Amino acid sequence: MSVLLEIDDLAVDFVRDGRVATRAVRGVSLELSAGEALGIVGETGCGKTVTGLSILRMLPPTARTRGRIAFNGLELLELPERALRDLRGRRISMVFQAPGTSFNPVFPLGRQLQHVAERHLGLNRRESARLVAERLREVGLPDPERTMRLYPHELSGGMLQRAMIAMALLCRPSLLIADEPTTALDVTLAEQILRLLRSLQRELGFAVFFISHDLDLVGDFCDRVAVLYAGRVIESGPAAELLENARHPYTKALIAALPRHGRPGAALETVSGNVPAGLEEPPGCAFAPRCPIAAAECLTGPPPLTLTGDRAVACYRWDAA
Amino acid sequence: MTPLLDVRSLVKEFPPRRRREPPVRAVDGVDLALVAGEVYGLVGESGSGKTTVARCILGLAQPTAGTIVYDGLDLGAADRPTLRRARRELQLVFQQPAAALDPRMTVSQLVAEPLRTHGLARGAALRDRIERLLAEVGLSAALLSRYPHELSGGQCQRVVIARALSTSPRLLVLDEPTSALDVVVQAQILNLLLELRAQHGLSFLLISHDLGVVGHLSDRIGVMYLGRLVEEGPAADVLRSPKHPYTRALLSSRRGRGSASLDTAPPLRGETPPPWAAPGGCRFHPRCPLRERLGSPPLCEREEPHLDDGGHAAACHFLEAAS
Amino acid sequence: MTAVADWTSAVAVAPAAPARRRRAWRRLRRDPIALFAATILALFLLTAAFAPLIAPSADQGRGTAHVASRDLGPSAAHLFGTDHLGRDLVSRVVMGTRPALGSAVAVVLLAVLIGVPLGLAAGYVGGRIDEALSRLTDLFLSFPPLLLAMVIAALLGPSLTHAVFALAISWWPWYARLARSVAQSLRHAPFVDAARVFGVRTPTIIARHVLRNALTPILVQATVDAGTVILAVGSLSFLGLGSQPPLPDWGLMVSDGRTTVLTDWWIATFPGLAIFVVALGFNLLGDALRDVLDPRSGG
Repeated sequence: MSVLLEIDDLAVDFVRDGRVATRAVRGVSLELSAGEALGIVGETGCGKTVTGLSILRMLPPTARTRGRIAFNGLELLELPERALRDLRGRRISMVFQAPGTSFNPVFPLGRQLQHVAERHLGLNRRESARLVAERLREVGLPDPERTMRLYPHELSGGMLQRAMIAMALLCRPSLLIADEPTTALDVTLAEQILRLLRSLQRELGFAVFFISHDLDLVGDFCDRVAVLYAGRVIESGPAAELLENARHPYTKALIAALPRHGRPGAALETVSGNVPAGLEEPPGCAFAPRCPIAAAECLTGPPPLTLTGDRAVACYRWDAA
Repeated sequence: MTPLLDVRSLVKEFPPRRRREPPVRAVDGVDLALVAGEVYGLVGESGSGKTTVARCILGLAQPTAGTIVYDGLDLGAADRPTLRRARRELQLVFQQPAAALDPRMTVSQLVAEPLRTHGLARGAALRDRIERLLAEVGLSAALLSRYPHELSGGQCQRVVIARALSTSPRLLVLDEPTSALDVVVQAQILNLLLELRAQHGLSFLLISHDLGVVGHLSDRIGVMYLGRLVEEGPAADVLRSPKHPYTRALLSSRRGRGSASLDTAPPLRGETPPPWAAPGGCRFHPRCPLRERLGSPPLCEREEPHLDDGGHAAACHFLEAAS
Repeated sequence: MTAVADWTSAVAVAPAAPARRRRAWRRLRRDPIALFAATILALFLLTAAFAPLIAPSADQGRGTAHVASRDLGPSAAHLFGTDHLGRDLVSRVVMGTRPALGSAVAVVLLAVLIGVPLGLAAGYVGGRIDEALSRLTDLFLSFPPLLLAMVIAALLGPSLTHAVFALAISWWPWYARLARSVAQSLRHAPFVDAARVFGVRTPTIIARHVLRNALTPILVQATVDAGTVILAVGSLSFLGLGSQPPLPDWGLMVSDGRTTVLTDWWIATFPGLAIFVVALGFNLLGDALRDVLDPRSGG
């Protein structure tokens, strides 16, 4: 499989009042093949959303980005703004967490999708209307002609999320970045949306960059998973295998902390402490202070990624336990 | 055993969106009984009315009908001073920990507030009590002078719990206590809650959409849909052998069951209708997979099924067929 | 393991981020416009405090005429010149800082003291109290503020005290509205719910939780308003409805000099400049405060 997206040693800092306030991403390297679903998992502040946003250069002006992001050989971080705008929504698309705020409240739903079709595909009004109706039907919205005329506030959360997916897939992109697409939805609705994404992915063959805090979710939906902690990838590998046989102590902690892995009424296995704050530069492995198997060597410096087959772990002592 | 909390036929209506429409029933006849020392998990998705039930119990909303009896005391008919005493024993832990704390108050002031309001401690004794409470929830005394925005989500939630504990409550109402927290922090807070419950003999009314959390903590579970309880029973029973089609759908909606589980049809189609458009008869009937399988019997649209009291019960006309 | 344990204890209690207020303070100090405005206002404040000592002739400042030196242009002896009654204008302007700043503060303070409690109560409690208050504020707001003040001042008789009172009555509805909107937005805030569950009584909730979170917008508004009030007081006095002679009121001085503004230009210009500078100072400071205390800027 060809490599579609290559992120090479990405680092993102946020500045305030002229000084660096937060180091959100500290050297992330990832690869995504065509048609593959890669899950990016981590807790709040691990840098997963910032990584996703940097692909399309959608970070606020206070962000300072270093590193390389290549899409089909194209260097995204060096692309002029014009070329980037042609790319966004056409070859790389994005789906967000809250469907309600992703639409402009003053335009009917159909018009908003039509804008995309007209802008990127050069269609006229009639052609775009036909295309949009077709795409809306594709995501399971009944009676698209009528739905197109409604305003966002007249639609339910589920319908809006489907419409957002339709808008993202309008131009048949080869990469879809999904940032917590089901987090704000009820579980039964989330199940529908996930299956929709899965079937569309199978049918249209696009790759998915799936950002989530939910390890179980990502484990089921994605082919491969990368776990982030304090702005770095600390483990990656095939989804099912990684969840079954986690190597990094943090990944193990994430899994053990899930209620379903504990006995009802008994304490859950957990690590103490919090994710490190945005500016601290730990002397060694960022997880060491909380790690159950930490030792002196863990303070020597950030652990390099150890590669074994298609799995990678950033831990000095992963095979010690 | 007399229940510690006994809610009977609770109804809560809200004014309609437009004047000539009937009022909206967020809660439409809920019976809920909680025995001392028990953890009752109330599960439901958005629009189920579970948060409204909690707000009525805590006095943040006035019930339209029904009674709420706490420790033998009818909260609706109690006078001010009695109500105040009851308030001390009924405490609340919220969903958004940072929002539950006044951003302009320090941790010390925040934990002191309930103590001061009820005149439970003063001066040196107050300081002492505050420090002990912080220690109990696992926070260092160094955080006393901090403001909420300087704390992490987990730390904020611990402060919220410390405040709730300060008045020596007997029943804690926890409304999505860990939904806004990361997985590891969630585990820490759940462990803390279990520990505190054991130490202080507390009862919990746990409200959540997360079956994992509810299943882990609860002794009994109640499932709500569009303002009514559709299933109720011992936690292990409800989770292992759910009787109501909605509960089944919820249980089939959990993740972590492998990639192939996403290639099957979704457990439930459609969306929960808004409270003002609740279907007639059994509220769940338009989405019910069981009804579909049985060839849409007219009973489902005509009559609202009844939920029996006690044991493990579900409000469905076709319970036998459900297995 | 000790090295790791040390690092652990260090992160267990993360260092306190500088309090929002401290950061805001630092930003304020760096803003050149804010510094400029603050310096100007500080100068005027000091002048007002030590006016009799700063003025070359406090007596003339207060009003004692010195007819022998009337209408003299600016010179070494009289930096701002003298007015129609021969009074040294520097002294007049300097002594004038007292009524100017004093009246500005008095008006704003009164408006806040009347408007804020009413607004908070209406916004938080809602219902009929809110309706009643809203109608009342609407009534007052429907009059152009200066006009209302003029009518009241005319009815009560011209004097600085009456002018202050009249302006306060025109101004309080703005603070009521501001306080009301804050109270309404906080009415259902989770931390207010928490206080209710704890059994905190409504007046205490308003005073402790709602008011404290309303202080910032009120402070910003009050600062900007002070500048406008100075202009308003000046206008009223100019029209003869405010301070009466021989009070060293800047507006009055401008009025005195208006007939001779082309020939003896200094008599109206320097007091006018004083009004302008102080009003500008308050406005700029208020704007800077708003930018700095705005929650979105890094709170």
